[in-house]
Amino acid sequence: MTEVQPIQVIKGNTAAAVAAKLCRVKYIPAYPITPQTTIIEEIASMIAKKEMDANMVNMESEHSVFSAALGSSMTGARTFTATSGQGLFYAHEVLHAIAHFRQPIVICNVGRPSIPWNIWADQSDSLSQRDTGWLQFYGESSQEILDSIIQGYKIAEKLSLPVMVVSDAFYQSHTSENVNVPEQELVDSYLPQRKISENTIQVESPKSFGGLVPPEIYDRFNKLHWEAMNIAEEETIQAGKEFSKIFGREYGAVEAVNINQNTKTILVALSTITTTIRGVLAKYPEVGLLKIRLFRPFPVISITEIMKSVSPECRMITIDRNYMGEKEGCVHQEMKRALYGKNFPIYDVYAGVGGKDVPPETIERIINFDFGQNVDPVWIDI
Amino acid sequence: MQDLLTRFQPLEIRGHARGGQGMVTAFEILAKSICRSGNYFVQSFPFFGVERTGAPVVGFIRISKTPILNRSNIYKPHLVVVFDEGLISQVNVFEGLNPEGSILINTNRSAENFSTNAKNIFTLHATGISLKYGLGSKALPIVNAAMMGAVTKVIGGSLENLIQDIEKYVPSKPKENGFSAKESYHVVKWLESTKEIIPSVRKTTGNGNSTVPLVPSWNKPMTANKTGSWRVFRPVYEEKNAPCTMNCPAGTDVRKFIKQVSERDFESAWQTIQEHNPFPSICGRVCPHFCQQNCNRKGFDGGVNIGAIERFVGDYGIINTPDVKPIQYAEKIAVVGAGPAGLTAALRLRKQGYSVTVYEASDFAGGMMQTCIPLFRLPEEILSQEIHLIQKQGVKIVCRKKVNVEELKDQYNAILVSIGLQKSSKMNITNEEFCTDGLQFLRDVKYKHNLSEYKHKKIAVIGGGNTAIDVARTLLRLGAVPVIYYRRTEKEMPAIREEIEEAKEEGIAMEFLTAPVAVEKEKSSFVVTQTMTNVSGEIEKEKLKSLKMIRMTQGKKDESGRFSSYPLAGTEYSVYPDRIITAIGQKPDAYVFGREIDRNEILNNQGLLSTNPVILCCGDLAGGGTITEAIGSGNKAATRTHKLLRSENNVPVSTNNGKQNDWVKPEKINFNYYSFAKRNENPKQHLYNYLNDFREIAGKLLQPEIVDESNRCLHCGDCFDCGNCYNYCPDAAISFNGKKTLKINYDYCKGCGICVIECPCGYISFKKEEGERDGEVETGLKPVCTVIRN
Repeated sequence: MTEVQPIQVIKGNTAAAVAAKLCRVKYIPAYPITPQTTIIEEIASMIAKKEMDANMVNMESEHSVFSAALGSSMTGARTFTATSGQGLFYAHEVLHAIAHFRQPIVICNVGRPSIPWNIWADQSDSLSQRDTGWLQFYGESSQEILDSIIQGYKIAEKLSLPVMVVSDAFYQSHTSENVNVPEQELVDSYLPQRKISENTIQVESPKSFGGLVPPEIYDRFNKLHWEAMNIAEEETIQAGKEFSKIFGREYGAVEAVNINQNTKTILVALSTITTTIRGVLAKYPEVGLLKIRLFRPFPVISITEIMKSVSPECRMITIDRNYMGEKEGCVHQEMKRALYGKNFPIYDVYAGVGGKDVPPETIERIINFDFGQNVDPVWIDI
Repeated sequence: MQDLLTRFQPLEIRGHARGGQGMVTAFEILAKSICRSGNYFVQSFPFFGVERTGAPVVGFIRISKTPILNRSNIYKPHLVVVFDEGLISQVNVFEGLNPEGSILINTNRSAENFSTNAKNIFTLHATGISLKYGLGSKALPIVNAAMMGAVTKVIGGSLENLIQDIEKYVPSKPKENGFSAKESYHVVKWLESTKEIIPSVRKTTGNGNSTVPLVPSWNKPMTANKTGSWRVFRPVYEEKNAPCTMNCPAGTDVRKFIKQVSERDFESAWQTIQEHNPFPSICGRVCPHFCQQNCNRKGFDGGVNIGAIERFVGDYGIINTPDVKPIQYAEKIAVVGAGPAGLTAALRLRKQGYSVTVYEASDFAGGMMQTCIPLFRLPEEILSQEIHLIQKQGVKIVCRKKVNVEELKDQYNAILVSIGLQKSSKMNITNEEFCTDGLQFLRDVKYKHNLSEYKHKKIAVIGGGNTAIDVARTLLRLGAVPVIYYRRTEKEMPAIREEIEEAKEEGIAMEFLTAPVAVEKEKSSFVVTQTMTNVSGEIEKEKLKSLKMIRMTQGKKDESGRFSSYPLAGTEYSVYPDRIITAIGQKPDAYVFGREIDRNEILNNQGLLSTNPVILCCGDLAGGGTITEAIGSGNKAATRTHKLLRSENNVPVSTNNGKQNDWVKPEKINFNYYSFAKRNENPKQHLYNYLNDFREIAGKLLQPEIVDESNRCLHCGDCFDCGNCYNYCPDAAISFNGKKTLKINYDYCKGCGICVIECPCGYISFKKEEGERDGEVETGLKPVCTVIRN
């Protein structure tokens, strides 16, 4: 992205709304919650101006929003919604249902934590939903939020799995910046209409959904879901490649910046913090960045591939903008799993939780932090 | 100075404003415009606290020729933009400013007044410029376009692009915002500081070694957080005028007596009405009820039947024996004409302590109420009882005495002339002498003259006012067949709507858009025999042949708001009534003045013809035309006479009780809090045969129905302790301790305006903070109730 393209300057939340329009979403159940609200406001505005052909229903809660999304998706309608923090927590039960009814719903979650009360950037809401059977993408820019929603439908509909695209509160959701909004025809060619399958509700051939599944066959459903999850990383990479052919922007499951055999330290991060890390790297030629874009399923294949070139002494430092009630943060836990059997020294830093600003100075403090023999995570800037 | 855009890579701008000033929008538009004008990468984002309108807000812009690789807040800005100079004392707006940096302040003071660490100080009176272009109000000027213009100048951006983007993205007044930005771009002032710059130390992130408790909590109660300081608008409990009260020409506090009725305190309700109107029983029956016509409940499920309530209260109090007030002034007052205006003025002045004598030319007191309102609308005993009540309070009434001011001048210090308009106007058509005067007809019927001569006769009634309707309905009861001819349409008829409806129900024929042109006569001869002399002879006499009419059509609306009508040439036709009665308007009997008098002379002097002695006209003579207007006129004349006699200034009398139109409008009423309740209509007598039956048509409502009807009152502009504000206040800033004790604690009221919206009756005003300037929020500016999801 060194060359400025014909662009618009829009907010992250606007980018999400525009993506929903470009994907020709047909149904949006919605419930407002800071800092996501402007997404559904933008969508409502586009529908009102007849720029978007969709039905939007203002529900009484997020539990209902996700239930309605499940229902509409089961009829074959491309369905979108957005939520945040408490809203996502409240929908937790239905998240399982959507994933295991195998509905290709895409949502945008603008991350914020729960208690202590807070409305600012934090990933503990979406990361604590990592086991609900959804794919999760973490976007770094308004452009990536927009592109990930488009790719999200591609992958979701291919795998019959739901996708959650996560953006950071305010640092992303309310930041206006340069975004290349693609032409509708290009999006149409990348993302054709959703196919109706025999699993879609069709009045001509009635079926029952949601009945009790007995022990003898329960595992088969889980295994089918598992098989889809197992190929999700490859599908993400594939979808990214196809995307780049049409739109010229390439995405994988992860992104490695300055990672090679000379790298002494690798910072592992998600979302907006990665941008600030990119800026700091210029001063630190021996430091690399591993950006995790696909968080669920965790991109073990891509990471393993990247780490092949790295010297075994290279330090890994995971940056966690989440607190999960475990000693290590969520990113750290997953990285350790991905690096199982390898002996990279790996450290964890809690940074930016509850929206605390992470300026370049903080990144430098992390890079220069003397971890010594300390294996406990570090709370930076506390 | 070199443009900031050229000097700094990336250029970092930090803005300080108050929530609601539009800074975040301004920075977004600036980012768009800068990006477009120079192929820049831009980043614009706000930092919101939990606060809302009025609280300090920070915004950031980064601009760079290369991708921006930083998503943190800006701590070392090259430019600080201050939207509200009042913030300088509240927030360290200059913190971390680059040693070569600049500040831009919205102020009407010069740059020297600011103690800052900035190298370059830019000033702009954005507030003044914005107001000049009508952006926002004095209370809340919208300065963001002006500030955008100045920022564009300071950083070296393109004004042309900015104006295009402003016109494209501002929510309203695109042109004016563009002008404001353009002017600001050109007038922003620059001062290079000669002071030595002490670099500002920037605060590091994190809170050092501060500790927090185990459970998220603060060592102060929430009450320590005086959220009232965020308030920009202030809700204020403020009694407003009710439409019923404001539209009562007599000045009756309608809302108050309805409330008293709803509390079953009929005695107090009667006293409330008596303060302005000594004729509630009569008015409850025959007043056009301007109160009811303007009731805010009208568009909901029908206005409150105030007439029925007033009638009930009047009938309830009619047996009262009020006190007689002592005479305390030497001046004597004469009132000429015992109609509603004269009697009201007489009573007021008598109660004030003057000796008052009322002179009446006819046999009975009551004026038009006595002579011209038919019995089926106003029974005789009601009228006589209410007049008797006035006499009981010490007013002397002398009947059958036609006087003029000359003969009274020497005996009285003040003469109030309230003789009404007793003479009918002329139509000015040929042979008009064959027509009967409508008022005279009604008088004759009241005094039981010539009742039988109308039986089986076809009568043409000319006119569309109350007199025409009364005449026609009276004729019906005399066995005649009346037809009303009116030159406009039914909609334009000046008569009381209910009366028109009742007349139609009684089967009275009405012809509209038609007017008389001429009366045609014919000779008739008949034989008269003198029995005594047995001489018989033929006498020739002229009699009515026909009434020539012409069809009318409607033109434009005239000053009174009614359509003018004009005749259609060639559409003349004739009707053949046995008699013609005209009721097309009235004029005064000039006898009282002892000279011919032009009514305009009276109207132009607001009724005051002389001050020594005081000669003051009131009632129909001085304007109006309904009983309540006459009563109101009597009240005013009494006040004025008292002031004149006591040598107080001759205060001009306004025609309205208060500020024109100054009452709670339906849009200020929150109808969600009122349930539908059917209006209690007066029962109507449906007579099988109207012949000689002058019984009252409109029946009365019984006490439970009256109380029920009074409970339909919306209490426009008057708190009735519903407690909505108390219940809905999200800050628990309202306390309630029983009847009429609602109180707002302004230490905590954030001015969200929820109480204003949820108040059913419009009792809460929403005013700009600091009690300044514009008063209540302008129309269109709704309370902002932005709440964070809890």
